[in-house]
Amino acid sequence: MTDCVIPARNNEGFLENASDWTPEAATAIAAADDIKLNEKHWEIIKFLRLFYKEHDMPPPSNRLFVKSVKEALGEERGNSIYLMQLFPGTPAKTACRIAGLPRPTNCL
Amino acid sequence: MSTLIVIDQPPYGTWAGREALDMAFSLAAFDQPVALLFTGAGVNWLRKLQETSEVEQKSVEKNLSAAPIFGVEAMYADAAACVRYRLTLEDMVAGVVMSESSSDLLNQYKHTAFAG
Amino acid sequence: MTPIHTLHILNKAPEHPRSVACMGALMPGDALLLTENAVLALAAQCSTLAGIRVYALAPDVAARGLGQCTGEAALVDYPAMVDLTAQAQNVISW
Repeated sequence: MTDCVIPARNNEGFLENASDWTPEAATAIAAADDIKLNEKHWEIIKFLRLFYKEHDMPPPSNRLFVKSVKEALGEERGNSIYLMQLFPGTPAKTACRIAGLPRPTNCL
Repeated sequence: MSTLIVIDQPPYGTWAGREALDMAFSLAAFDQPVALLFTGAGVNWLRKLQETSEVEQKSVEKNLSAAPIFGVEAMYADAAACVRYRLTLEDMVAGVVMSESSSDLLNQYKHTAFAG
Repeated sequence: MTPIHTLHILNKAPEHPRSVACMGALMPGDALLLTENAVLALAAQCSTLAGIRVYALAPDVAARGLGQCTGEAALVDYPAMVDLTAQAQNVISW
């Protein structure tokens, strides 16, 4: 059921059109990865979308993602264990996918 | 080891500068001390109010504004090049330091790499 | 409007040797159209070009944040650029 609200995505699961992103789409994309979004996820998603708006790119690698979160939200959130628990796999990649941003350039 | 990345080419025409910026960000990601020096036509990277929607490219001004967040230690602008391109600190993105003598600056870094 | 003898379309930054060559080739009655990195000439301290009409492609000017530096140059959009090439007797793309 959730599938029907996921807009077109590329072979890596990133949105084809950034403008297709909605909070509902994020919930559906996350669900497809077995992630149920709570307010901790949303805090990071909002941070990432703001980052993209300001810098015209997502943090380009996982390390820089962690660094950027630390800079903006503090040490408690800006560490790889915290982010790994919220966004399993490569956190930067998983989080960008859910936030409707392009794939971080240096995340394979 | 400290590294100085020198961008002496204008923004947008080629990929060389972006690749150099990427290198700087990667060094910063691994907590290696890195700084950027903009010289020649490269100082135009630093000009404020770049509006790139019509050329369908990402704004280097916005990209550069992430440099301090990522841990790039400094962004220098060659003073003579700024005069040539009529740039003052006011016209440039926040956090730029004028370099009156770029050759002195090069000597302060263990490794210097030019873009492109 | 007087016809353009030669329209010089320059897309190289002022540092580029081709830019220097282009500037040296300008003759009265010619027009210079700056595109891509050549629009940086609007900010650079260049010698003034007497008798040469100067145009600059607006999207490239905006991309580089040079909207306040256009001086004597006329901003053109893509259709106007096509018109210029049609008006000119000769076109040189540098």
